[in-house]
Amino acid sequence: MRNSLIGIIVFGCLAVSPAFIGDYWTGQLSAYLVYGLLAISLSLVWGYGGILCFGQAMFFGIGGYIMAVFTKGMIYPDLTSSYLGLLAAMAGSAMFALALGFFLFAGRGISGAYLAIITLAIALVLERLMNNWYALGGYNGLLNVPPLKLVAFGLSYELWDKLPTFYIILGIVAAVFFAVTLLVNTSYGLLLTAIRTHPDRLSSLGYSVLNLRLSVFSLSAAIAGLAGALFVTLDGFASPTLIGFTLSTEALIWVAIGGKEMLLAAFLGAIFTRTAESWLSEIFGDYWILILGIAFMVSVVLLPKGLLATPFERLTRRKRVRPSSPAIAPSPPDPPSPPSGPD
Amino acid sequence: MSELFPIILDASSYILILVLVALGLMIVFGMMGVINMAHGELFMIGAYVMVMAQGLGLPFLAGIILAPLVVGFLGLLIETALIRHIYHRPLDTILATWGLSIALKQLIVLIFGPESHSVALPIDGSVTLGAFTYPIYRLILMAVSAALIGGTFWLFVKTDFGLKARAVIARPDTAATLGIDTRRMYRWSFVIGTALAGLAGALVAPIISVDPQMGLGYLVPGFLSILVGGAGPLAGVLVGGAVVGGVSNLLAVWISPVAALITVYIIAILIIRLKPEGLLGGRRAK
Repeated sequence: MRNSLIGIIVFGCLAVSPAFIGDYWTGQLSAYLVYGLLAISLSLVWGYGGILCFGQAMFFGIGGYIMAVFTKGMIYPDLTSSYLGLLAAMAGSAMFALALGFFLFAGRGISGAYLAIITLAIALVLERLMNNWYALGGYNGLLNVPPLKLVAFGLSYELWDKLPTFYIILGIVAAVFFAVTLLVNTSYGLLLTAIRTHPDRLSSLGYSVLNLRLSVFSLSAAIAGLAGALFVTLDGFASPTLIGFTLSTEALIWVAIGGKEMLLAAFLGAIFTRTAESWLSEIFGDYWILILGIAFMVSVVLLPKGLLATPFERLTRRKRVRPSSPAIAPSPPDPPSPPSGPD
Repeated sequence: MSELFPIILDASSYILILVLVALGLMIVFGMMGVINMAHGELFMIGAYVMVMAQGLGLPFLAGIILAPLVVGFLGLLIETALIRHIYHRPLDTILATWGLSIALKQLIVLIFGPESHSVALPIDGSVTLGAFTYPIYRLILMAVSAALIGGTFWLFVKTDFGLKARAVIARPDTAATLGIDTRRMYRWSFVIGTALAGLAGALVAPIISVDPQMGLGYLVPGFLSILVGGAGPLAGVLVGGAVVGGVSNLLAVWISPVAALITVYIIAILIIRLKPEGLLGGRRAK
């Protein structure tokens, strides 16, 4: 498994990086790791599950708000355990995704472009809703969310410092990454490939396409919810921007630039884009967003598998070729196809 | 009764503008299956052409003529450089045009700055009818929009170009076999769609504040109108625009803008989910 070997190398590099980059960047990198987790969740649902979700941040935001409400003791003042908050955030996001997924996919469900537009509209609705939900802070959001608090063997430790926080988050992200990598290499991953490429054939073979879609949608939402919950403990506040449209589309850009069909590429896409944004936006100023938009366009047109995934695939090319045609068969005719054909 | 008049007129003028924007989206989506996420930005650029024309001291009419030309030319460039390479990957067109929309938005910020601009009304007067008064420009805007929508329908229903275009929409392969240059049809439909967006932007520029973020506020309702009405028949966009635009405008007056937006989006999502072929029927998504 050279693929997971690269993963181990990447996480190893991340683990030693605080020794070189200083305190400020360690703190930043913790946040980027959390964004990377969001990218992993989007890569799972989009690149593997074939569900183009334009509102992935809604699960991130729901997780963030649940975590904030829990650890601030707004539900029950004595029950502010971080563990419980994380669990509730994941469960809450997954339940919401289950309900939403049932609404979207049951029966003659919607897919493709329609799904993209509808998830975009839902993200906009949720953002507006949180902006005006005054019990949850409205436009200002919830302030003073406590940091993660580790409780074990009667000892408790609050993660105020940057370095321990970084390692805890790195540990969680690495665990999720390797767990999802293992998952997509099982027969479940094969089913996901099938559902992405030939859902009709899969259902004729006796599989429930709806259940599979719901499972991958909810699993991805749970991961995004976990990321959101970790994020609010880092930043100390949960605001409507976490749930909305901007973060959703940013996540899409990271994953598309990195490579949606490869978890590691999507994860690194998030980290590289965010790092580049911090560095380059100082150099290029307002031109940075222009460059990002153009880079996104170029990567979609010329390298549909992603800027990072393409070289990775060269490195790890194996005999087994994984079919990865787009979920929807295109109908406009276009005989002279450029060399970027998906098969 | 008379206080209802301005509300109904406001709602109708919003509906007409929305239909004008959605019509451009619809031509591109219906014909090529391309979701153009940069359509809102093309609308915005039309408004900025008007800002620039007024800054140069050109008459209002010059702005109205320039905007569709400039934006249509931009559409031609976009089609040549971007869209034609990804016709066969419909989902990727969403992403690529999204990148384009970010780039265009930022380009406008770099040129004109992030603040909002305003365009002077070309005609200042208002009409007094009984108990209420209404600005003349809004009435003219409604008439022009209605005429443009009618003209687009005429183009697609009554002319040779329209016949070919509808052939390409219905059966692209058969149309190509019969000697219709589908590539050419795609290109000119895209240009017409973008020029309509530019013209709509220039027309509404005097009654809204022109800023780099204005595109999204028309893009999403535009798409919802298309999907609510049905992406098949052209008339679907009229029904969809009337539902989305009318409900949101009336609710904004009666309840609040936020509640209106949330309610309209939820209604639209429900309609699209329960009746994916749209209120007017027609085909399902490409």
